[in-house]
Amino acid sequence: MDEKIQAKEPETGMKQGHVLDLKLPIGWLLSIYGLGLGVYGLVTGKEIYEKSLGVNVNLIWGILMLAVGGGFLLTAFLKRGSKG
Amino acid sequence: MAPVITLNAIDYAIIAGYILVMILVGYSLKKYMKTGEDFFLSGRSLPGWITGLAFLSANLGALEVIGMVANSAKYGIATVHFYWVGAIPAMVFLGIFMMPFYYGSRVKTVPEYLKLRYNEATRGLNAISFAIMTVLMSGISLYAMALLFKLMLGWSLTGSILFAAVVVLLYVFWGGLSSSIYNEVIQFFLIWLGLTPIVFLGLREVGGFAGFVAKLKEPLLHSVKYLGTSNNPLGVDWFGVVFGLGFVLSFGYWTTDFLVVQRALASKNINAARMTPIIASFPKMLVPVIVVIPGLVALLVLPEFSQSALPSTEYNSALILLMKHYLPNGVLGLAITALLASFMSGMAGNVTAFNTIWTYDIYGSYIRKGKPDSHYLKMGKYATVFGVAISVGTAYIVQSFPNLMDYMQLVFSFFNAPLFATFLLGMFWSGATGWGGFFGLLFGILTAAGHYILYKLGALHYASDMAANFYQAWWAWLTDFVITIGVSLFTKKRDRADLVGLVFGLTPRAKAAARWLARPAVWGTLAIAMAILLNILFW
Repeated sequence: MDEKIQAKEPETGMKQGHVLDLKLPIGWLLSIYGLGLGVYGLVTGKEIYEKSLGVNVNLIWGILMLAVGGGFLLTAFLKRGSKG
Repeated sequence: MAPVITLNAIDYAIIAGYILVMILVGYSLKKYMKTGEDFFLSGRSLPGWITGLAFLSANLGALEVIGMVANSAKYGIATVHFYWVGAIPAMVFLGIFMMPFYYGSRVKTVPEYLKLRYNEATRGLNAISFAIMTVLMSGISLYAMALLFKLMLGWSLTGSILFAAVVVLLYVFWGGLSSSIYNEVIQFFLIWLGLTPIVFLGLREVGGFAGFVAKLKEPLLHSVKYLGTSNNPLGVDWFGVVFGLGFVLSFGYWTTDFLVVQRALASKNINAARMTPIIASFPKMLVPVIVVIPGLVALLVLPEFSQSALPSTEYNSALILLMKHYLPNGVLGLAITALLASFMSGMAGNVTAFNTIWTYDIYGSYIRKGKPDSHYLKMGKYATVFGVAISVGTAYIVQSFPNLMDYMQLVFSFFNAPLFATFLLGMFWSGATGWGGFFGLLFGILTAAGHYILYKLGALHYASDMAANFYQAWWAWLTDFVITIGVSLFTKKRDRADLVGLVFGLTPRAKAAARWLARPAVWGTLAIAMAILLNILFW
């Protein structure tokens, strides 16, 4: 809400807010991390997961980060869609 | 010596992705940097949740994470006092009671408030000591990071120092405080996501909290139970914890340190400014999850830290050894990125605080007064460059101090501890005078320094260095408090009309937000209640 209002202010000559929709950089960074880790988890053999108690942490953490990152991106796009 | 951890291509890719995003965010904010207020205070335009997360991140620097994991391995669950006693009450107090004076008086910096409330001398003393302290802290962080990366990854000291310094310099130079704040929010998420895999795997191996209870010595498992005397792992009694840490050190840091207060001043309105530290207090309460649990796990799974460890054990390496122990390449790169993020958020916090104090309170007040705004904007950019350069220099100087965390506490207690007495009297007692404030602060700092010298010479005895620090803070605070009142009684009072907006009782109360869900008092009360509940749970 507030971000939208501030973004319009320059036209009216009022103080300009420093607008940066953080959902995009955070969303992209986490999604790409998630995707990378997930794929890496799929292609790596079991032996590197001995230290992580046999858990394929790359795959699990990749999926989790993809979900979190995707969530940020989805909210950003939904908001953008409702604006236009 | 061979490095502890070997990274591969995916780890480096993750680190590179992080650096790229930091720099892009900085670059994309460049277009907003038109005035001094844009560069130094984000144009006072940011929403509360952004400044709130940045408020926390700026504090969650290098020494915080590494040092607190080390403390947890050393002292056990009692480390939570640095959070639930030593942070939450002060953060809530800042939001509810003090922020109306900081934000409401439209000051740009904490020293500027001191000038309005007391006098020029008080501001000068604070501004100069703060600028020096900030640069020192920044240098310590840089050194800590470089040393860590050398031992851990085999990177060269000079290489890591210059690399981190240049990245921070770039994004602060382009985007000023806004860039620092937005990046701190990203860093906030990375720190949590990068470090939680260790928590999960650690808990899985030791068998959850029940595993700690079964295998650890009883005093390591309680926060409060053994505080009756100083005969506990911390070596500090309840008085030292509550008054030294919880009252003086904590309030001195959280309510007067410009590094954190600056984030709140960047908020778009007074309600957002007041909510900033209160929003930050909730994740702050949970930080023990990513530092205390790894510390306890280290005691159980790493042979170096067994409970009968030698006094010389290098606890600061606990977190790194856990990474090596649990994390395969991939999440390992993410954990290293989390560390880098915490280093950079801390350093950027120092750099933005330094360039602002330097430009407004030192350069703009004593060196070149009354220049146009564009002149100070340019000076802010230069200050960013030489602030980083001095930090790099300091990084090489601090190598002779072995225990980084204790050193940080030491520096805090010289300068920050007495300061809270000055602010408390300034904001809540209209009778405090300009010279009262100045001499109180001066003698507070001298008391801290004197106490430290006497302790080092062996004239004063405490159960532990930490106890000495906490008591030193307490005496410094008390000296400041008493001297400020004493001198104020014999010096000329300020005209009450000049103090409107600066002192409680002479200032009309800020109107509460219409919706109760937006009120700082509601959330502040909730934060305090949760902190009390957590203390009882881990009694």
